[in-house]
Amino acid sequence: MPRAVIVGGARTPFVRAFAEFTTMDTIALGEAAVRGLLEKTGVPWDAIDGVVWGGVILPPTAPNVAREIVLDIGLPKAAEARTVTRACASGLQAITDAVAAIERGDAEVMIAGGSDSTSNAPVTMPQSLVHKVAPVALSRKSGPLDYVKAIGSLSPRKDLLPRQPQIAERTTGEVMGEAAERMAERNGVTRDEQDAFAVLSHHRAAAAIQSGRFADEVVPVDTPEGKRVYSDTIVRGDTSVEKLAKLRPAFAKGGTVTAGNASTLTDGAAAVLIMTEEKAKELGMKPLAAFKSWSYVGVDPADQLLIGPAIAMPKALARAGLELSDIDVVDMHEAFASQVLCVRKAMASDAFCQERLGRNAVGTIDDDKLNVHGGSVAIGHPFGATGARMVLTMANELATTDAKTALLGICAAGGLGAGAVMEAV
Amino acid sequence: MADFLLDLAANPRARKMVTTLGLPLPMPQNLERAPGPWQERPLHDRDVVVGGAGELTGVLADILTTAGANPYVDGDLGPWEGPGQAWGRPAKAASEAPKRSWSLVFDATRISSPEELRALYDFFHPRIKAIARSGRLVVLGRPHKGLPVAAAAAQRALEGFVRSCGRETGRGGATANLVLVDEGAEDRLEPVLRFLLSPRSAYVSGQPIHVGKRVKATKVRTLRPLEGKVALVTGAARGIGEAIAHTLAREGAKVIVLDRPDDAALGADVARSVGGSFLGCDVTDSDAPERIAAYIQEHHGKVDVVVHNAGVTRDKTLGRMKPELWDLTMNVNLCAVMGITDALQPLLGKQARIVCLSSIAGIAGNVGQTNYSASKAGVIGFVEALAPKMARKGIAVNAVAPGFIETRLTDAIPVATREVARRLSNLGQGGLPVDIAEVITFLSSPGAHGLSGQTLRVCGGSFVGA
Repeated sequence: MPRAVIVGGARTPFVRAFAEFTTMDTIALGEAAVRGLLEKTGVPWDAIDGVVWGGVILPPTAPNVAREIVLDIGLPKAAEARTVTRACASGLQAITDAVAAIERGDAEVMIAGGSDSTSNAPVTMPQSLVHKVAPVALSRKSGPLDYVKAIGSLSPRKDLLPRQPQIAERTTGEVMGEAAERMAERNGVTRDEQDAFAVLSHHRAAAAIQSGRFADEVVPVDTPEGKRVYSDTIVRGDTSVEKLAKLRPAFAKGGTVTAGNASTLTDGAAAVLIMTEEKAKELGMKPLAAFKSWSYVGVDPADQLLIGPAIAMPKALARAGLELSDIDVVDMHEAFASQVLCVRKAMASDAFCQERLGRNAVGTIDDDKLNVHGGSVAIGHPFGATGARMVLTMANELATTDAKTALLGICAAGGLGAGAVMEAV
Repeated sequence: MADFLLDLAANPRARKMVTTLGLPLPMPQNLERAPGPWQERPLHDRDVVVGGAGELTGVLADILTTAGANPYVDGDLGPWEGPGQAWGRPAKAASEAPKRSWSLVFDATRISSPEELRALYDFFHPRIKAIARSGRLVVLGRPHKGLPVAAAAAQRALEGFVRSCGRETGRGGATANLVLVDEGAEDRLEPVLRFLLSPRSAYVSGQPIHVGKRVKATKVRTLRPLEGKVALVTGAARGIGEAIAHTLAREGAKVIVLDRPDDAALGADVARSVGGSFLGCDVTDSDAPERIAAYIQEHHGKVDVVVHNAGVTRDKTLGRMKPELWDLTMNVNLCAVMGITDALQPLLGKQARIVCLSSIAGIAGNVGQTNYSASKAGVIGFVEALAPKMARKGIAVNAVAPGFIETRLTDAIPVATREVARRLSNLGQGGLPVDIAEVITFLSSPGAHGLSGQTLRVCGGSFVGA
């Protein structure tokens, strides 16, 4: 079986929703990231067998974002394309799909990544409007009277008020911030811990930007308005625990989750280039890292919505034949500081691991190994792009430092969790 | 027939008016009932205050946290720490409990003298008024037989205490029950508590339930407990039998709907809606047992759950009762149950469950029901005698004794009598067929391996009967 290796990648700056990237939809953002990847890596365009793309808010008129990116850029039409969705794990999903395809022999070279534009979340009309009007509009027999009747049957509030898009669980109606709030309470995670974690995330991300560490990964993007965005705009290097302590809880009275210790709505895209080791040798490209294992799991969304990584990460470790102590760097998606801290606590708990994993405590993830260049709280979280951003950052980390192994963890809507182990090549 | 008082009480304005005017009308509380199939966490986000710190503390901590409850503990929080971490349900001190909690659970297993019973008073006195509507009060104890004298007295006292608590909390729809756990049967408590603390036990109140280890233990399933099981329900074309067919099928069982050939149309409808099959058969026919056994042998090869629900009433005071009425009632309600059970013996699957329907009339007696009461009391004896014989094979045999249930049978009772009968229980209202069906489904599940030879009353805490 050939081994798939990551040879490079690129991402757009991550930008707060309804800011610089407002007029760029998820396809345009994806295109920007893939163009950046093509330029940075110099991979021959005709070598690309396909594109796998992850996205959460898919454009209703062109849900196969991957194909639109291929066509918009002008990559060879022979490059096949598919779009996958697994909520916030979509970016990682796209990459593990591509790795699986390559290792199964279905492709040699693939681009995988993800993007999302919260600024372009479609605002939809109630389905009841469609159900009332469409039969009349679609029937050839409809006369003016039918239209008048159909319009007359509409209730302004129920049928005509657009549906506001929101990040709520479809089955429970719970907004994700409320879930993070409840998890903090269930696992005894305090406001101070969350704020301190958020500050660390900001400081580390700011340091990565200042030191040029992210320059390897982030490509400047020209907006349709003619503005050039060079780097992430959400990171606040000057924030402090005192500043965050002033913010009011966002989801519950007397709660602990604030705008400061949660990730924000973000626009952005990230992509990586994956190919077989032989192909990399043939093209003269330097492999950065490879996947050792991965695991996707589900938990009950009505219980602890975002605890999934505490089960998926140990499962991925077990599949790789490793223990947490063998891991040099850990990158966890920070949907909320509370959620990361809850997952960390669960993995360190004998009781949790015995009941849920049938083993002793996985161990405590050291602060100096976890999210060494910040995470989603500081950098931002374009849903489909985050997984790809993490893979890209970890691939570079494994290639440029002494770190040999990396563990990734992502929580996702619907009670999903993802874990993956990467290794240096 | 709709329950007028229940409807009236459900209207907050009317309720307030009745209470302010001091009208002598009972205001029964609409009972909360479980909406769907068994759940992973039947107590999700329900607040449970736990007291007593008896021998079951560790077991309780596991049971309540896995079931999703938020525990508030009167006593040492230490044993709760691990389970709390595992399931994200950290225990808090009882003093932090919200004003109204779903459930009060007291572990009285360590109480060994009448003086120590004071702990019951101390725990429940400040809390009993704050129990939630349709809430649950459960006391855990040990069977008193074989205990030293003082301990036996104290443990037996629990039953009187719980029965009275049921009377006091019933108007709010809350129930009170006692669970007696045999030494060594602690690991069989979980399914019982998951059932008893959930809304599924809506109409069970004032009952002592004995959890023992007589039956061979089985692997317990919390979701779809009857998957892969074949269930026979007699008299399932309508009423309680129909409800049983539905709940058994809901938990995954293949249901054989048995009823008289005259009711083939109704029975076939039930069978279709539960995805099962209809078997037309009069249980009093002399060849009925063999026919049923042959049908099961041919179509399923085994049967895992047998619910003897078919029953008739032929009421007349004894002096005026014709012999046919005696015979028919006895034949349907008792002889057929025994005959069919006998014929099905070789077909019973491992860990099979047999559930018979007794009746409150079989316990308390009733004017004009000598035949009926005798047959239904006979069922209790049958179950008690059969249970030890079947235990070794892992088979549990139990009975359910319904109180006043809203069915065709009770609709036929004259209005005044019916109105009185409805109110003669803790909950002040009749039960629904589904209340019986939920109890029977629990008794049919693998998790009922702690119960055998028992007759469980589902009567809302009726004022009649022992």
